[in-house]
Amino acid sequence: MDPVLLFQINPSSGLPIYRQLMDQVRTLIGAGRLTEGDMVPSVRQIAEGLQINPMTVSKAWSLLERDGVLERVRGQGMRVLAAAKVRGTVKERQQTLQPLLEQVVAQAAQLSLSREQVLAAMAAALKELPGE
Amino acid sequence: MTQKIIQMCHVTKAFGTKVVLDGLNFNLQRGTVTGLLGKNGAGKTTLLKCALGLQTPQSGIITVFGEPARDLSAATKAKLAYVPQEVTLYPWMKIRQIVAYSRAFYPRWNDSLIERLMKDWELGVEERVGTLSTGQMQKLSILLALGHEPELLVLDEPVASLDPSARRQFLATLLEIAISGDRTILFSTHITSDLERVADHVVVLKSGKIVYHDELSALKDSVKRLRIINARALPATMRDLPGVLHWESTDANAVLSVDNFSPELPERLSREWQAEVTVEDLNLEEIFLELHHG
Repeated sequence: MDPVLLFQINPSSGLPIYRQLMDQVRTLIGAGRLTEGDMVPSVRQIAEGLQINPMTVSKAWSLLERDGVLERVRGQGMRVLAAAKVRGTVKERQQTLQPLLEQVVAQAAQLSLSREQVLAAMAAALKELPGE
Repeated sequence: MTQKIIQMCHVTKAFGTKVVLDGLNFNLQRGTVTGLLGKNGAGKTTLLKCALGLQTPQSGIITVFGEPARDLSAATKAKLAYVPQEVTLYPWMKIRQIVAYSRAFYPRWNDSLIERLMKDWELGVEERVGTLSTGQMQKLSILLALGHEPELLVLDEPVASLDPSARRQFLATLLEIAISGDRTILFSTHITSDLERVADHVVVLKSGKIVYHDELSALKDSVKRLRIINARALPATMRDLPGVLHWESTDANAVLSVDNFSPELPERLSREWQAEVTVEDLNLEEIFLELHHG
């Protein structure tokens, strides 16, 4: 499969495109679809494949390099580093969920749902989680 | 070589008593794809025309590739291309002829690129210019601007008359140019979703001044909407809070947009106002509206 197809972006989302790309690399690693040593598509491949600005892609890749998720291989591109480093602590991983949780809280308030009702809905949704 | 392809310093341009550019400062960096946003009548076209020396401002200094905009050398002119909003081309010429005619003005010309684009963009070489639709005319004028592979490409509302598939083809071509290296692109548009895809920098023009010029991702990171719910210590007015673009409040709730968002801000406000604070990401269209409140 064309590795560019692993990625999808929504340019009109409020989340900057470089963050969408960064999140997706992390998610793909988390899901095991990218593993240690895999090469990620080049800036050019992503920019052409997803029709987005190349500087946006290189920004995402550089920040992932800074975060220790990817490493630059001379003349070859960017490679996934040891996956363990990516997973982070429980707290860090919870942090990733935070924006979504805030949206849930806001919507729940609009719908006048009680704390218990929200937690019940959440518990039901969690049943979908593999390994639960 | 200079990193500033276009420099505009304290530029003021008025038509009669109507001031369109009001002491405007602007630098266009080499290698960027910059989208210019502004309401109707904000002065986008005037800015682009002044930047290239096609209109003369009352005051200010403008240089292009380091040369005065009103007095560009032939060599510099050969490095740039400008596609105006409305194009007039000789109506009696066939497309094949107008391509050959434009080609003759430049020391170099990428024939294979133009042939490919004519095919992709469905422009028939034997069609007469006078019979083309507005959209086809726009495609043709963009195509003619690309033949000499300009280092600086300036486009005024390039996608206004294009249908969605032509727009995507055009954007793909712009990206191809951007990827191919040392090229600088400046374009004005109303269609924020196109800008979000291809631009790396964004300029917002308002009341004759540039109110924002930075990386697009920085704009999205810094302009956010905050929802304040169940506040027990909401200030009487939020006007004095730094960075507030717009706010509305009722009793204990408020919605405010800020242009200086940092991850600490919601926590701080939540603490100070004893409220629940949620953050909303805004897309470019929403940001544009927030920047134009009031």
